Amino acid sequence: MISLAGRDILHAPGRFMLTGLGLGLLIGVTFTMAGVYRGMVDDAKVLLNNSGADLWVVQKDTLGPYAESSSIHDDLYRGILGMPGVAQAANVTYLTMQVRDGSADVRAMVVGFNPGEPGEPGYLIAGRRVTRSHYEAVADVNSGFAVGDRIRIRRHDYTVVGLTRRMVSSGGDPMVFIPLKDAQEAQFLKDNDAIVNERARTRANPALNRPGVPGLLNAIEASQTSNHNVNAVLVRVTAGRPPEAVARDIRRWKHVQVFSRDEMENILVAKLIATASRQIGMFLVILTIVSAAIVAFIIYTMTLGKIREIAVLKLIGTHNRTIASMIVQQALGLGLIGFVVGKIAATIWGPAFPRYVLLEPGDAVRGFVIVMLVCSLASTLAIRAALRVDPATAIGG
Amino acid sequence: MTPEVADSFFQRARRSFPRFALPRQAWLAAIGVLLLIAFGWAATSSGPLAPTRVTVAAVIAGDLAPDLFGIGTIEAQRAYLIGPTAAGRVKRVLVDVGDTVKAGQLLAEMDPVDLDTRVASTVAAAARGRSAEVTAEALAQDARSRRDLATAEARRAIELARQGVVGQSALDSAQQAARAADAQVAAAEAVLAGARDDRARLGADLGGAQEQRASIRLSAPADGVVTSRDAEPGSTVIAGQAVLRMHDPGSIWVTVRLDQGRSTGLMVGLRAHITLRSDPREAHPGAVVRVEPTSDSVTEERVARVAFDRLPKGVSTGEMAEVALHRETIRGALLISNASLRYRGAQSGVWLYADGRLRFVPVKTGAEDLGGHVQILDGLSAGDQVVVYSERDLKDGSRITVVDSLGGKGK
Amino acid sequence: MEGAGIWIEGLSKRYGGGETAVDALKDVSLWVAPGEVVGLIGPSGSGKTTLLKCLGAVIEPTRGRMSLGGQVIYDNGWKIPDLRVLRRDRIGFIFQAPYLIPFLDVLDNVALLPMLAGRPNPEARGRALELLKALDVAHRSHALPSELSGGEQQRVSIARALANRPPVILADEPTAPLDSERGLAVIRLLHQMATQYQTAIIVVTHDENIIPTFKRIYRIRDGRTLEEVGEGQAVALVARPEV
Repeated sequence: MISLAGRDILHAPGRFMLTGLGLGLLIGVTFTMAGVYRGMVDDAKVLLNNSGADLWVVQKDTLGPYAESSSIHDDLYRGILGMPGVAQAANVTYLTMQVRDGSADVRAMVVGFNPGEPGEPGYLIAGRRVTRSHYEAVADVNSGFAVGDRIRIRRHDYTVVGLTRRMVSSGGDPMVFIPLKDAQEAQFLKDNDAIVNERARTRANPALNRPGVPGLLNAIEASQTSNHNVNAVLVRVTAGRPPEAVARDIRRWKHVQVFSRDEMENILVAKLIATASRQIGMFLVILTIVSAAIVAFIIYTMTLGKIREIAVLKLIGTHNRTIASMIVQQALGLGLIGFVVGKIAATIWGPAFPRYVLLEPGDAVRGFVIVMLVCSLASTLAIRAALRVDPATAIGG
Repeated sequence: MTPEVADSFFQRARRSFPRFALPRQAWLAAIGVLLLIAFGWAATSSGPLAPTRVTVAAVIAGDLAPDLFGIGTIEAQRAYLIGPTAAGRVKRVLVDVGDTVKAGQLLAEMDPVDLDTRVASTVAAAARGRSAEVTAEALAQDARSRRDLATAEARRAIELARQGVVGQSALDSAQQAARAADAQVAAAEAVLAGARDDRARLGADLGGAQEQRASIRLSAPADGVVTSRDAEPGSTVIAGQAVLRMHDPGSIWVTVRLDQGRSTGLMVGLRAHITLRSDPREAHPGAVVRVEPTSDSVTEERVARVAFDRLPKGVSTGEMAEVALHRETIRGALLISNASLRYRGAQSGVWLYADGRLRFVPVKTGAEDLGGHVQILDGLSAGDQVVVYSERDLKDGSRITVVDSLGGKGK
Repeated sequence: MEGAGIWIEGLSKRYGGGETAVDALKDVSLWVAPGEVVGLIGPSGSGKTTLLKCLGAVIEPTRGRMSLGGQVIYDNGWKIPDLRVLRRDRIGFIFQAPYLIPFLDVLDNVALLPMLAGRPNPEARGRALELLKALDVAHRSHALPSELSGGEQQRVSIARALANRPPVILADEPTAPLDSERGLAVIRLLHQMATQYQTAIIVVTHDENIIPTFKRIYRIRDGRTLEEVGEGQAVALVARPEV
């Protein structure tokens, strides 16, 4: 027995291929949307993994430092370092802000870190790590900066000395790593006009500007422009100790909030990404319905175009199921082409997206099954039309 | 491209290749194969299935110049606050910001108020004391001469009394007169001493009044440059408040702050290069002249003072500078780029690439230079290939392919 | 037991019911012997199409008796469980237009029927080629139907009708799209094939041109048949063969 479906397609491959191509692009968009969601979850995981921390110590009663703002003193880490089970404890700051490179503004998450301690990027793709205590930066390649660029963060210029990859905030902004002290200043210090204004106000206040106490004004101005806060302390637990036990100790004695890796992941994925994932889920459903509609329409049209042939086939003795299987095979063939084209398209245009698109093999398999199911369902419309054809219509014209 | 055009293309293709048995099938088969290849490429070249790209470099032996880095502020070691020692009103200010002044030069003057009259009165008092002394001196001299006379008469009276010429009462009165004259001399000398003390006191008073008068004259304590003018004539200032500030430009140095953790080998005498923020292209040579014995425990920094070999023109205090301190070059050290360092927990190490496989090797690091080269003390040998850059975090079983560079050009 | 070929007795077909009922066929009887090509003529609306549809087992008659190839297929009710198989194996169809499957080439159009009957592809194609040769159109085996002339297409459709060696062929106005010369050629072919393969062929037509070729003609009017013999021959009722 020959394949009627195959012969029909080969007879008019142009229309079939073009439909497959169009369907493939639609499926590609679907894969990409799913990939965006996976990428967001991966961004969160990578953010947590790359920080190298087992525990996050943040301000009490906050969900910081990523989901909520958190502020703690920068000398708290010393006390934590002395607690049993703590191998490393390091201050970090996070602030999403605009970073200027020439005339272009890039939205980035500026991370303050200490070299050699948790918070520093674990690997580079170009350049070197920061060696100077000020005014050097390591940037994520997504920011568009190159090694050697001079970028401006608040009041200072930084030289980009190294580049990393996949260091993005949970919002998709590329990270720029600078020394902690510079980051503390950047987080706190305002622009020059504001500082001058603040100084004038302090000077005009007679309680603060006392001629009988020389040096008082300077001390007050100095305290106004210094920052001794950080957003979190990252803790690495000694190998072999359960992080939860260490977390309990820290919570009890230091009056701060401590999150373990799993809790942080839950916060990021469940809270930060929740809305976006719902949106993406809805998009996926809509795209699937649209794809099903397209397949149904195309197969139905192809079948209607063969009504006469179907009547003849039925008359000369072709089984109903042979005709139905021809239609289903065409639908599945369309789906197969769409799947292949979609997967290729998603792989090609994925890197061009501003957010990280992660296409997992499991998703591809699931996508394939769904595409086949949808195509089979979509072909039922055409099959019903084909089965209703009366073979008698072939006789008598 | 419409379906009809596509179909007619195939039909034309068929007609133009009459020798091929089934050209359409062949075309479509070719497209199908192409699609499969593209699909295979898509499945394996990206996403989690693809191998991680890395670059490797050899461990080399070379010289390492382990510099220290810190940022600093330009300050003047010798800076002076010029102001009165007592509250008063500023009468005149003779210099302005930027003026070069010499030691002793009058810079400003406070309003003397009643000081002048007080000085005049003490001068008069001192003059009076001097006249009182002169008077007392004359009186004492007079008393002395009288005493001499009385003593001589008493001696003569004794002699005469022995001779029996004068009577006892005459002798007594002569001796009494001599004694009285003695006492008068003592008294007169005491008055003289008192007058002298008085004169000294009044002279000291005058000195004090004059000094006070002098203190309203604010003079430069040393050569230097005026850096700020804080009070204008007519304003009232209290003791200790500055009317002018100045500093000695020759004493300008850089106060450098270095991270405590990155200040090994900091000592006096280290050569330095200072880059001013106002002129980032030029690096001025200098040296560490002092390392402060107290560090900043809040900011966790050590403080050092670095002097310029030659003071650059137009430098101002308060300016920011970046300072690199040069320690002794380490010769023949095993060097890797600090991008190769990876951390497992607190343990630092590298990924050694040998026989096409990766292995994490803990290393002990030594000094580091500002260009990102790290000295390896233990764990590697020269010629070992280590991973420098990688696309992802590496684990023990990661599949890798070695490439020349990972791009990273940006934009 | 009726002989092989086509045998209809008292066939009636009523559409609808009650007041609006239409009797398309009223007590029709005819027979076609194996190897015979018989014409069926009549005006439009006379019921010839309905008769063909009954013979082709695509509509159910109301009453009567039909047998094809010696097998009773209808006796006041279908006597065959699977009509589709009947159509496939026992009846060949030739239509007003060739109705070839446009996406199969000529060879496969003809070979399709044996393949549907379960024959392996090489055997089916072999038989198809044989038939195409007999109809002198084998040189176009690998062409698509759209590339053939009208006459060539009609010949292919004849080959298809014969592909499963059915005892009966129903031809519905086979010469309608053809000119007189080609039309005669087709009818001659039909006669040839009928004799060669001992098939009973009934040809519905109103083409004046080909009527003289038939030895026997049935005339149908208002749902009733009247037998007639070919023109130029004595009009006589021919006795039915003994059952």
